[in-house]
Parts: sequence; C-alpha cells; structure tokens
Amino acid sequence: MLREKYKDEIEQILSRYSVKRSALIPLLYVAQRDQGYVTEAAMKEIAQILTLTPPQVYETITFYTMLNLKPVGKFHIQVCKSLMCALVGSDSLIGWIKTKLGIAPGESTADGNFTLSAVECLAACGTAPMMQINDDYYERLTEEKVDRILADLRSTGTSQLKSGPFMWPEAPKAQV
Amino acid sequence: MMPSTTTETVRLTIDGATVTVPKGTLVIEAARRVGVMIPHFCYHPKLKPDANCRMCLVEIEKMPKLQTACSTPVDEGMSVRTATTVVNDAHKSVLEFILANHPLDCPVCDQGGKCDLQDFSHQYTATTSRFVETKRIFQKDYFSALIETQMNRCVQCLRCVRYCDEVMDVKALAPAGRGTMTEIKHFGPHPLDCEFCGGCVQICPVGAITSRLSMYEYRPWMLKRAETVCGYCGDGCQITVQTKDQELIEVNSAHGAGRNNGDLCARGFFGFHAASHPERLTHPLIRRNGALVQATWEDALEFVADQVGKIKAAHSGHSFGGLISGRCTNEELYLFQKFMRVTIGTNSIDSSARYGHLNGLQAMRRVQGTHRWTVSFDDIVAADVLLLVGTNITESNPITGLKVKEAVKQRGAALVTIEALEPAIDTISNIVNLSLHHFCVPATHMRDTILGLLKAVVEQNLVQPDLMQRQPAYVSAVTRALQQISWQDLQAVTGTDTAFFTDAAKVLAGGQRVVILAGQVLLRSERGYSGSLNLLDLLILTGKLDQPGCGFAPLAEENNDQGAVEMGAVAEFLPGPCDITSRADRDRLVTRWKEEPPPNGGASLVEMLDRAGAGILKAMLIVGENPVGSLPAQVRAEESLRKLDLLVCQELFLTETAALAHVVLPVASSMEKSGTFTNTEGHVQAVRPSIEPVGESRPDWEIFVALSILLGSPLEYAESKEILKEIRSLIPGYGSLGPAPVLPRVDRTAVDCYLGDGYQNDLTTRYRLDAPKSRPDGTVQLELVQSLFHSGKLSTRSKGLLQVEGSGVLRINPLDSARFALVDGDRVRLSNAHGEMTTKVKVVGRVPQGLAWFPDHFSQAATHLFDCVIDPVTHVPSIRTTSVSMMKVA
Amino acid sequence: MPKHELILLKNMMQPGYTGSLADYEKTGGYQALRKALGKIAPADVTATVKKSGLRGRGGAGFPTGVKWGFLPKDYQGPRYLCCNADESEPGTFKDRQLMERDPHQMLEGIVLACYAIDAESAYIYIRGEMVLGSKILERAIGEARTAGYIGKNILGTGVNVNVWVHRGAGAYICGEETALLESLEGKRGLPRVKPPFPATHGLYNKPTVVNNVETLANLPHILNRGAEWFAAIGSPPKSTGTRVFCVSGHVKQPGNYEVPMGITIRELVYEHAGGMRSDKPIKAFIPGGASAPFLTPDHLDVKLDFESVAAAGSMLGSGGVTVMEEGTSMVWAALRLMEFFYHESCGKCSPCREGSSWLVQTMRRIVAKRGQMQDLETLSDLCKNIAGRTVCAFGDAEVAPIMSTLKHWRQEYVTLIREAEAANLIMPEPVGAKH
Ligand SMILES: Cc1cc2nc3c(=O)[nH]c(=O)nc-3n(C[C@H](O)[C@H](O)[C@H](O)COP(=O)(O)O)c2cc1C
Ligand code: SF4
Ligand code: FES
Repeated sequence: MLREKYKDEIEQILSRYSVKRSALIPLLYVAQRDQGYVTEAAMKEIAQILTLTPPQVYETITFYTMLNLKPVGKFHIQVCKSLMCALVGSDSLIGWIKTKLGIAPGESTADGNFTLSAVECLAACGTAPMMQINDDYYERLTEEKVDRILADLRSTGTSQLKSGPFMWPEAPKAQV
Repeated sequence: MMPSTTTETVRLTIDGATVTVPKGTLVIEAARRVGVMIPHFCYHPKLKPDANCRMCLVEIEKMPKLQTACSTPVDEGMSVRTATTVVNDAHKSVLEFILANHPLDCPVCDQGGKCDLQDFSHQYTATTSRFVETKRIFQKDYFSALIETQMNRCVQCLRCVRYCDEVMDVKALAPAGRGTMTEIKHFGPHPLDCEFCGGCVQICPVGAITSRLSMYEYRPWMLKRAETVCGYCGDGCQITVQTKDQELIEVNSAHGAGRNNGDLCARGFFGFHAASHPERLTHPLIRRNGALVQATWEDALEFVADQVGKIKAAHSGHSFGGLISGRCTNEELYLFQKFMRVTIGTNSIDSSARYGHLNGLQAMRRVQGTHRWTVSFDDIVAADVLLLVGTNITESNPITGLKVKEAVKQRGAALVTIEALEPAIDTISNIVNLSLHHFCVPATHMRDTILGLLKAVVEQNLVQPDLMQRQPAYVSAVTRALQQISWQDLQAVTGTDTAFFTDAAKVLAGGQRVVILAGQVLLRSERGYSGSLNLLDLLILTGKLDQPGCGFAPLAEENNDQGAVEMGAVAEFLPGPCDITSRADRDRLVTRWKEEPPPNGGASLVEMLDRAGAGILKAMLIVGENPVGSLPAQVRAEESLRKLDLLVCQELFLTETAALAHVVLPVASSMEKSGTFTNTEGHVQAVRPSIEPVGESRPDWEIFVALSILLGSPLEYAESKEILKEIRSLIPGYGSLGPAPVLPRVDRTAVDCYLGDGYQNDLTTRYRLDAPKSRPDGTVQLELVQSLFHSGKLSTRSKGLLQVEGSGVLRINPLDSARFALVDGDRVRLSNAHGEMTTKVKVVGRVPQGLAWFPDHFSQAATHLFDCVIDPVTHVPSIRTTSVSMMKVA
Repeated sequence: MPKHELILLKNMMQPGYTGSLADYEKTGGYQALRKALGKIAPADVTATVKKSGLRGRGGAGFPTGVKWGFLPKDYQGPRYLCCNADESEPGTFKDRQLMERDPHQMLEGIVLACYAIDAESAYIYIRGEMVLGSKILERAIGEARTAGYIGKNILGTGVNVNVWVHRGAGAYICGEETALLESLEGKRGLPRVKPPFPATHGLYNKPTVVNNVETLANLPHILNRGAEWFAAIGSPPKSTGTRVFCVSGHVKQPGNYEVPMGITIRELVYEHAGGMRSDKPIKAFIPGGASAPFLTPDHLDVKLDFESVAAAGSMLGSGGVTVMEEGTSMVWAALRLMEFFYHESCGKCSPCREGSSWLVQTMRRIVAKRGQMQDLETLSDLCKNIAGRTVCAFGDAEVAPIMSTLKHWRQEYVTLIREAEAANLIMPEPVGAKH
C-alpha cells in the first residue's frame, strides 16, 4: 500500500493543494515509481486518498503519455520523431536503435531491459536528434554516441552522456 | 446563495424575431423560444455547457467568429443568425467531421429512427462522403450485462460522462485515451458497477450506448407508447412504456416529462419486466382438498361471495379484515375501503402505508394540519438549506435524491444529514459525500440527534424571537425539556460533540428556504412518529414552518402509500383523509354513499393478525400484500392466517401469503390498467395501460365491483374514471393532473392548537434520549434496508434488476469485516433468540461500523430474526432492526 | 559575440555561473524584490509592467500588465499565479534553458508577479519530461525559501508567496492555459470554453494569471531598470524587449539566441546561428513554433516582431525558429507536424479531433504517393473548417503547416500526386469499420 510506504511524501504532496484532486498526477508518479506503471490497486488506492472514483483516476491516466497502465522496460528509450529532430536525422537514428536492440518502436526487448518509443517533440530541438531514457535527456546524438549510451546503461545502469542543466550554445568556458 | 426574486430580462433578436428572456439564458434556449431549433449534440439542458461538438455554431452580430449557441449567454440587443449560408456551411462541415469516423451502421443500430446524428445528417449533408481514409475501430464492449457499447458510433459529446457526474454524482464513466481514440469506458476490466440509472443510455444522442434488454428487435415506429407512472417508489416518475403487442420492449422518460424531468433510476429503467414474469398468476385458484387448483372467474367469485355471505351472517362484518398494497391505484384503494366498510361492514382495513408512512403523515396532521407536504420537489431544488434524516435517499427515493443533488451541486445549497451512512465513494452515489454537516447515527439514535439540534437551537438563541413572544409556554416547555438532556449524554449516544451540533443548528436557522426530508430509516423506526414531531418542532422554533419554500417532507416508500391514506385505506381514516370519528366528515360521506360506514374500532395490520390468531377475525381479503413474507416471526402471521375461515388474496404472484389462501384471484399489474397514483409530494398522476392484462387477470377494482354485485350491495362502476369522479366529489379537485402538485398551506388553526397545548401530552417522552444500547462482543445490529435495485419484492421478478442484484447479501463495514475476519463472499451465520440464517457478506464502506445491512427485498430468510415494536399512537410496527450475533461459517 | 546587451541569458553566459542562489545574488539577484515588495504598490508594479510594453512570450503575445489588470479588484478569496513551463511547442526550447540555468531569475519574476496580483500561491506547471528542470527548480525554491525570498512574510514585508512545482505528464495541450488549469486540477487536460477567462475563473474557479517562463523572467529586469529602459529595446512600441529565439533545423549552430525583437530572420540565421549547415540556401522557415505558418525565403527580411511577422502571414508565437534548407520536402515537413498535432489533439472538439485524423491520413497518402488531385481541395476545405471553430487555438495551429505549405509549395503536392497518377496507382478501397 502506497499510503504506508510513502506516507510522508504523500502528505507533503497533499499539503500543496487546496483542492485534493490536484494531487492526482503527483500521486500517480509515486505509484509509477513504485511499480514501473500504475497498477489497478494503485488506482483504487489513490482514488480513495483523493475521494475520487477509480474511473476518474483512470480517465486521467489515459490522457497523459507519461503515465503507464502496463509495465515498460527497465530503460524506456523515447526518441523524438517530430519535424525538428527529423530534419537532422532522427529517423535513421531510430533505425539504428532498432537494429541494435532488435525492437521496433512500441516494443520491448525480451529481457525486459529496453522499451523503444518514437515520441513527439521533447523541447530539445536545438540539440537534435535527441532521446529521453527514463528521467534523462540525451542530445546531439550520433550513432556512435547511442552505442556508448546503450553500453553504459547495460553495464552501469546509467550514462555520463546524459544532459546536465541545459544550455545551447554553451557558455564560454571560464578563463583560468 | 440566494435565488434572486426579480429576474432581469434581456431582449435580443434571433433570425429577425425579437424575444425577451431571463438574463443568463443561453442563445440555444432563447432560440427554442422562438421555435428555432439549433442543431446540437453535446448540449443538454441538464448539463453544464461543454461546447465540444461545435455543432451549434451561429453568427452573432459584432463577433468576428461563429459562436457556439449552447455556451453563449444572451446579451441585451444581441442579434443572432442561425440560418445564413456561413452558418449552414459550418453545420455541414461539423457534421462531415463527426461522420468521418462514424461507421454509418444505421441499419443495425438501435438508435435508428430516434438518432440526432441521423436526423441532422438527413437535414444537412450530401449523400456521399469525402472521407476515404481508414475509420478508427473500437471493439464492441459491454459495460455490463445490461448495457452494450458500440463506441464507433460515439460522437464524443461526453453527455453520458457528464450526466453520470453532474446529475447522478456517480462518476462511473471515463473518457479514456485522447483525440479520436477517446473511448467511453468504465473502470478497468471489470463490468460497469454503478447505479444503473440508464441515464447514459437515455442521454446518448446516438446509438453508442444501448440497453441490452431491448436490442436489435424493433424500430421506434414499430412500437406503441404509453405515458404512465412507474409503479415502484413514492417518487412517481413519469415513464414511457414501449410495447409491441403484449411484449414490454423498453422504458424511458423524456426530458421535461413528469416530476422526474426525464431522469429515472434502475428500477424504472431496467425493472419493467416484472409484469411479464413467467410466474404471473393467470387464472383464479380455489383450494380444493388442500390444494390450490385452477378455477374459472365465475366459480371463484361465487365461491368467495358465498363464503363471505355465510361468515357475515354468522359473525357480522366485524369478523372481516382487509389489507391492501400501496401499489394499487387510488381508484382501487378507494373502492377497496368502500367495499370493506359498506359491503362487508368493517373498519378493519389497512395498507402498506402502515409500515411507516403514517408516522410522518400523522405528525404533519397533528402539528400543521396537513396530510401532505407543504413543499414540492421544486422547493427542494430551490432550497438553500436541506436537512435529511434517515432517508437513505439514493436507495429509497432516488429521484428525490437527484433534486437534493441538484440543489447542492448546481445551486450551492447547504446540506445537513442525519443518516446511518458513512461518507464513502463507491459505485452508488452517497448523499453524505455532499454534506456540509453529517451526523452518522443508526436509526436507533436519529431522534436523539434531532434533539441535539433542537438543544443547540434553544441554547444558541436561534429561536425565532417572535415565537417567544407569541408562544412563551411552548418555547419554555421545550427549552426546559431540552435542558434536562446533557451534552455529555448526547455525545455518548450520537458520538458528536456540542460544537458540531451548534454549527449545524446555525446553518439550519440561518437558511431562508429550509426543507427537511425524513425517510424510511427514521419513519419505519420505533421513533418514526416522535422523531417527525421533533423535526416539526425544529421548523417551528426556527420560524420556518410556514415560510415559503420551507417545510417538512416525509418520503413515501411505495408508489402510492400517500394515496392509500388519502383514499382512506387505513382503519382510522375515511377518504380525505378524514378522521373516522369526525361527525361532519361522516355525514358528508353518507350523503354520497347513502350508507354509513361502521362507527369506529377498526383494527390495524398487526391487530388484525392478532384478532385472527385469537379467532375473532374470521376472514380476510388481502390485496397485493404479503404479511407472511414481510412480518417478523413474533407477529405469527402465518399461524394466524391459517386459522381464518376464509382468506382471499388478489395477487400477481403466488406469494407466501397467497399460498395459504382459500381463493387466489389473479390481478393486473400497473402496466395493465388505468387509474391514478399519488406520489410522495402529493402529486396525482395518471396511470395508463401499456399492455392488456396478462392471462385472465383483472384490475383489482373490477374484482371489488364483481364481488359487491354478487353480495347484493352493488358498487357499480364501468371504468376507473367513474371511481375517480366519485373520489373528486368527496375530495374536491382531487388529482387535477397538472404538471406540478397543488400544495396545501400550513393550517394556522392546527398550529395554534398544537402550540397551545397540543404539544403537551407526550412532550416528556419525545424529549428524552434513548439509552445507548450496549452490544455484546460478536454481535452486530442487523437492519433491513432498501436497495436501489429493488422495490418491495415485486422487482425481484424483474430480469433486468436481477442481473444487477440477484440475491440478498449482507453488507458490513470494513472495520467489522476485519473484526470478524471476513472478506467479500464469505458466509456468516446470524442468530438471535428468534432464530438464525446464513448469508454471504459484502464489505461496503458506507455501512457504519456495528451495523449490518440486509436488503429488504430478499428478506424472507431474515424476517424471523426481527423484533416488532408498535407505536402506541400511529400503530406503526417497527420491524427493521434487531441485534444478532455473527459468525463466519464454512 | 552578440553586439547587443543580453538580458535573460546574461547571467548564464558568464563563465562558471551555476544558477545557485549565491551566484544569482552576486549578479544583483533579488534586488527587484527588495525594491518592490512593500515599497511600490502592487498596482504600480502592474502599471510599470504595462508601461514596459512586455507581451507574453508563451505564444499569444498578450500584453502582460493588461492581463494582470483583468483580475477582479474587490475579490476577497485566493488568487493564483501559474507559471507556464509546459514548453511543448515543437521548435521551442528556451524555457528549459531559463529554468535549468538561471532558476532564480524566473522565481524572482514569479514572486513579483504574485505581489502585483496579490496571489499567495504560485504553481510552476512544468512539462513532465523535464525531470531535471523540476529538480533544479525544487532546489532553487528551497534556497529561496531559506533565504526568505519565498514563503511567509518575505523580507519582512508581510508579503506571503508560496511556490510549488507541479509536473505535467505528457500532453502538449496542457500548454494551453485553460487546459493547464484543468490538468493542474488533476483532470484530463481539455481546454475550457472561454469566457469566462482565467482572470476571473481560473484555478479552482478563482482569479488566476497564467504567464510563460520567459515572460516572468523579464520582470526583475523591468522592475530594476524601469519600464522606459525596457520599452526602448526591440521594435517599440508594440514589440518591446528581447526574445530568446530557439533556432533549430538545418543551421550550423542551432541553439537559443537572445536578441532584441525586430532583427530579421536573415540576421538571426547568418549572424547568430552560424548560417546554413551545408551552405545550401534556405528553402523555408517557421518563425514561431510548429503552430506558426511556414514562410519562404521571400520573408527573410521580415522583422521578427509581433506585427511584422503577422503581416507576413505567420506569427511570432513561442519564438521557435526552424530553418529548412533547399531540398527539404515541404509536404513531408507538413506531414511531420500534422502527425504531431494529430497525436496531441485532446479530442474535445469534433472539427479538431476528427479533422486531425482525416488530415494526417490524407497527408500520409499523398506522401506515400497514393494521393489524388481532389485531395488538395479536401485538405484546404478541412483546414478552413477547423480553423476558428474550436474551443482553443489548437485548431488554428494544427492547420498552419498544411495551409501554408499548400499556399507556398502547392507544386510539391501536385508533383507527388502526379507521380501517383503516373504510376497508375489508384486509390485503394476505403477500409471502413467492419461489423
Ligand atoms: C495549443 C496551445 C499550446 C500552448 N503551449 C504553450 C506552452 O507550451 N507554453 C506556454 O508558455 N504557452 C503556451 N501556450 C499559450 C498559453 O495558452 C498562454 O497564452 C500563455 O501561457 C500565457 O502566458 P504569456 O502571456 O506569458 O505568454 C499555448 C497555447 C495553445 C493554444
Ligand atoms: S457515448 Fe453517446 S453520450 Fe457518450 S460521448 Fe459518445 S455520443 Fe456522447
Ligand atoms: S451543442 Fe454547442 S458545441 Fe455542442
């Protein structure tokens, strides 16, 4: 039960809003972090916390692309396919990942490690092509960079190639 | 929020025609006034405008873009054009969009012939579509066994979803997904679990949501329609019954129709098949050699007349008793009592109004001199403060419940509730979720809670100052009585502290239009009568009793309980109702009847059974009632009835009681006859037949007529209208059949009389707390409750409702389920000194801790566990609560 | 090096600037707050903003001070500020930089705006994907709260402002202000019918202002340096101040460039973004995010200010400038954007919901060389029938790519259809819903 496991966090979330339902998406994130997707039990529990009906929780989830009602891979690779990225090669990048992982967008690898999605604009058009893996952005991608990222993820679960606080073009380096 | 008394108006022109409408009116409604129908899908007068379909675009002068008529309020001097080329093109194009993904499967769609999309398409579009792409396809789905969805037809107007939320407060439907892939769904992989009001089916402008009870069979134009009134609860909803020959196909209710304004509940919408149940009695039965065998009407009636004559000759009319159901028409109720009083010569008659409705009604008579509400449904909607006491309103009076929801949700009324209900969200709306001040108390302490409110009123100086001046004795007597009660004791029995009472009392006293609704949980309890009186005291003390829009409204459970009393189908009242002892009223009756009813001394329900048991009563005529199935063992109904020399039952089905009868006469259901019903607010409405009487059954009134003739004191009427005419001669204007009830006003003389010394005799007993009952470990308080999906036992013969709720399940609170280590579906044994039963349990959040609810409608196995306490004044037997120990069984 | 003064990106351009509170304070951060709170009347703050000519940077370009002025004066209950950090318009990525690199600049703007409109609660609605951004904001809010810039009794002035980060969950439409409010209320992000406007019936039906990140980030500077200073930058009187243009597409050096409004696209591309990546000429560009109609090389000298771009038949929108080189298929480009809009249509209004699916399918067919000549008329009819007939501006936005490419590059459509006809590929039978 989320309520026991994340008691403080849930209380903190509820305290931010004067109308309880506002806490719905934040609570769904808590549930999704816990199980990787929003389970039916979680929907019911959250409905109860917020005095909503389960269908109200459900309808909200289905509107948003980031909330999952089914499990996704350990690493969810979302490559932007919108025009700005497509202009500089996102389609071939998707093709590259497809051959690397053997899965098409919408599919997961058999080991459950990777899920590949082609998604719409993620607000990184100046550093295209780009992708998001779980919480992190990876930008100015090349095939070689993608290979390193995938290798990093496989071996360490994370990659140093992910973006830091965003700025492009970069600021001039401090003079030593 | 105060409803403004003067409505400002606005003048505008629509297609050149000038119209004046109240400020705030929407353009689409203003257009309707001048006969212009602006095409629309998502708009519905019951719902907040959502303007999503974009069908209702119109031109409004000075606005650059086309505007949606459904969401634009009128403005002074506005000029609207609804039929220009631009507007027409817009309508065409919106339709083209809506039709793009539509499957155009009209030939197999149940909406065919009554579909908005079909109608507008016919009006606007070309016959060929430019859409050549792939249509999106949704799988056909079933919301439940009763509702089928075909979402390819959906126009995504969200009317169903909005209705379910805004009107019903159930929120069971979810628009899932987004864009064209949005699909109306219910929760997860489970079947839809909701109130089954049928609202989504009714409000869908296309054939996306349809009832499975009437599918794929008929086109609207093949069906015959009858406008009639639902025969289940006291709300008295107007329904349209659609039939094909003798087959009942569908029930619905048009927006604007009846007191229900088109809304229905599960019983009304899905429960219409009871009449056509295969077990309907179709022939008279006579007991021969111990068994009931088929007979002809002639034989049966002659047999009855013969026996009646013999018994009457031997033991006089007083040895007869009669019992009739409040489900009969006014005409039948009237004729029944006339038959019993005049032809037979007894006042021992009773009806189902005795089960509780009389408690509220007697209280009104005593305090305010009316036998009806002084408010109507419209006053509930317009109220600014509502107090609900023991109503269980959604389950018992769902449509009255909708009025309360409307008042609270749409108009911001403040709601105070005293209910045996926990606030909880589940699949049925819960009125206390909308409550500002909720007192969660069991029936046994409802009156105590009322006393708490009264105490807060007097202590907080909320008593109307004028009343103190005019009736100091009354005020100080009540105040003194309330001072005897301590807050500690009140807190102990109600579990609520002083401040909460005080706050709620302030809300009540501060309201301008205050309506108090009392329901069966209170009215059928031991404190039903005294609690009602105390509620009336509350209105008096706060100065509301005679104020416009204010009043006390006890809710009738059965469709015509109110009519039963008004027709005099209870021992103590002659038609009117008039006191049986009132000389003037008797005289009026005699001029009409040319005969004098017996003077007095009629027995009520339980007394009749006692007299039968004692051998004093020799014969009974029971019409549509089933005392053996309904009364607790303590009353010994079966034993007593078996002693009768003659038991005649007029019935639809062979009930436990009918099975004991010497003669059983098959009768027509309310789907098969004409007459009138009087609903809970006192509105008299026409009942019209939709089918011919099933088998050889006859309307009850015809049987009374036939018997009276055979008995040589003919009551002759050729049709029920003639009976109504006679009723009107006794009760002037009865059933003017207008759109709304004609409300009585509080009778000043009666009030003065009550305030003078009428309040005195039982004041101390009414103003006393009931001692908290200690409940031993391992026990729960078992209550018989009303279910939303049934009404009495008749609905348990309806296949639609049986699909929603097919058997009796004991509902318990989650804490009790933990205490007794029970989960959904476990079986328990309930036992007490009277006996035992086993049943399945279901854990339901709304049931308060310590209570266990069993649905009245499946109570045959449970009735023997209950106690029976009879009110000394109103003779109402309270039979709905008892204490049982509960144990899990394998 | 830019030849004009940077305002919003100035701090972050300094070597070693981390965006921490200490860094921000070093560059004069939170001085505007000290100057304004309790010293300048809220109404005068609004007046200053009005005078500065600041217009919304979120897309619609509505004058910020005027919007604030719509809030009811005598309303007693709570009021809200919502910072629109949903940044989902394809081609736009400036807010992300402003938030992640200099969060205090926008927080100071938020507190100033709250002060001006008398709101005690502000929500930053940030698009859900920007997890890093939300963490940076949370940290910055924590710093500011500790330092007394946010919270109760700010700087001892008695002013209370609480700021919370609220993450969206993946829906472009939630950038539209009323959909944002719905989403913030925990519902599906469907735009509301207006009127009533958020100014009177916003979050929880209370008076509410929704402002974009960049809009708010300008406030400290306006308060510090005065309305006149700001009003003199750019193309006064109607387009004052700078814009952070997000340049993407076929340029050598894509990225965020802050320039005074009124420079030309030619300057932006060739003097700031390093020119075209392969020295091919520009074929087309979008001046203000995916919702802005495409323009052609003929428009290279149109000034990038609200009026001039509108006069050229497009809009300045969110400041997302996407540049396409010669050789890019415009039908394909329009399809890509149409796919975006189809994916993001919330589904509320029939024309947009059904129209987007119809348009995208027709466009796919044309690109796949299965088009017919009459498709062109259908396309433009559908576009016309969507525009202006929906609850929110999404309807106008989604038809922009097709309408503008049909207008300027109709020939490309025709060529694709001719090829289809030449290959004698006839239309397949429509696959309808089967029963
Ligand atoms: C479909 C649509 C998407 C929008 N997306 C955004 C967005 O991502 N960010 C934003 O700031 N404004 C967006 N807007 C504009 C907002 O509705 C609103 O005008 C803006 O937040 C107001 O802030 P401003 O006055 O500071 O620009 C969008 C508008 C529409 C119609
Ligand atoms: S199912 Fe019917 S009522 Fe519901 S949204 Fe669709 S068309 Fe409207
Ligand atoms: S009826 Fe007006 S938009 Fe649907």
